[in-house]
Amino acid sequence: MIDAKRFKDEIIDLLNTLYDSQSDNIEASAKLIADCIEKDGVVHVFGSGHSVGLGIDIKDRQGSLVPIHIMDMSHFVTKGGVPVEEFMDKKNIFERKPGVAGKLYELYDIKPQDVFIVISNSGINGIVIDIADLAKKNGHKVIIITSMKHTLAEEPRHPSGKKLYEFGDIVIDNCGPHGDALLETTGVAKVCSVSSICNNCIAQSMAARVIEILQEDGYELPVLNGDEAHDKALREKYEGRA
Amino acid sequence: MDVKRQYFDCVINKVEEAYDRQADTLKDIAAAFGSCMDHLGVVQLFGVRHGEEFVNELNYRAGGIAPFHALRLRDLVLMEKISQSDVDDGSIYEDISVADRFKEAYELDDRDMLCLVSFYGNEPLVIELARRAKEKGQKVVGVVNKKSYDKVKGTLLDYCDLWLDMGSEEPDLALDVHGVKTGQVSSTVSNVMAQMITAEMYKYFIDQGKEAPILLSANVKGADVHNDSLTDPYGRRVR
Repeated sequence: MIDAKRFKDEIIDLLNTLYDSQSDNIEASAKLIADCIEKDGVVHVFGSGHSVGLGIDIKDRQGSLVPIHIMDMSHFVTKGGVPVEEFMDKKNIFERKPGVAGKLYELYDIKPQDVFIVISNSGINGIVIDIADLAKKNGHKVIIITSMKHTLAEEPRHPSGKKLYEFGDIVIDNCGPHGDALLETTGVAKVCSVSSICNNCIAQSMAARVIEILQEDGYELPVLNGDEAHDKALREKYEGRA
Repeated sequence: MDVKRQYFDCVINKVEEAYDRQADTLKDIAAAFGSCMDHLGVVQLFGVRHGEEFVNELNYRAGGIAPFHALRLRDLVLMEKISQSDVDDGSIYEDISVADRFKEAYELDDRDMLCLVSFYGNEPLVIELARRAKEKGQKVVGVVNKKSYDKVKGTLLDYCDLWLDMGSEEPDLALDVHGVKTGQVSSTVSNVMAQMITAEMYKYFIDQGKEAPILLSANVKGADVHNDSLTDPYGRRVR
């Protein structure tokens, strides 16, 4: 039977699997990010569709790291000159497009020491793959967050024939099922997706570990603490970059 | 203990607690959403700041129920009805006329109901959306962080037929990393609650002998045709 309790029990099992299998990859990512921040770098986070949630969750809150920059898809329109009609298509065709990501990439002040986190559950769509490819070609370290079960079950949509995970210096598997939904039904579709929940746990645990590494290294923490003057100074330090 | 494990444990404990305290409310909200959809209504979702994560968890989601629609400030920016700077500095939440901009931008219907997600439940725009819905006799569901809501003396819940508590501390900082507070859990736990509502909605439709209108991931072969068959009858009301 499908109900709230069944979902609760299964998501808790999945979160334990996620931690057990991906803790080392999250740890390695945290070390990469801490090193980037200690070199005055910024972490650029890009995800399309529901994957935008990961960046949103670790940004602009008391207790959040400041040098996190979200590459926002809507900048294609507000800063990149893409017509709104083309962007706000009904079937998310835009995110599948290869060859347009460069427009977004060029909008930002990206420095050599910066690190990228690129998130896509399926890892097959054009824009996410192009962003990861551009970052790699420009010599940046790239952390990929994807569902390995999903990405391995689908054909690539990118002209290169590649999938997102192939561009990662570190790949974190969010351990979600193919199609993202967890619970089998009697019909064609499964119900209750998990990627946003798993991605938030990956991002938040990674951010906490970054803070701990920065502490161990004696680096002044770029973390919002609710003190107006402190937070204003931090935001000013990264203005235009994060 | 490993700080990463601590975060996972905080989420798991909060999820257990949310279920123990609010299982009946989750069922009631699922029934209210389902009943609205039985009458061809759409559940309109609006989230303040990080509350948008809960909205994203229900709106046009793989493994989710079709007739939801998100009221998004981003859409209004793209349509040049509001400015990005007002969104960025938060002043947009003070502006109750944004409720009119939503009315212009979308096909809203009297059969619809409203679900509002706000950590504090005190922003004038959110209160205005709730007030207008109640005036029309529409049902309103609120999602707040009750400890934060109480601290600022929010008023959103005065307009809500049903409400959920995100269940986080105020402020929402679950971890203490050697004296530094971090690790927000409210959105992650809210996302789990959104999926628990989805599970209960599935049960609601099945218990009535109906087929549940479940969307497929757009990144699965054949999904577009399946999803269109569920959303096309609603036209622009759901996308």
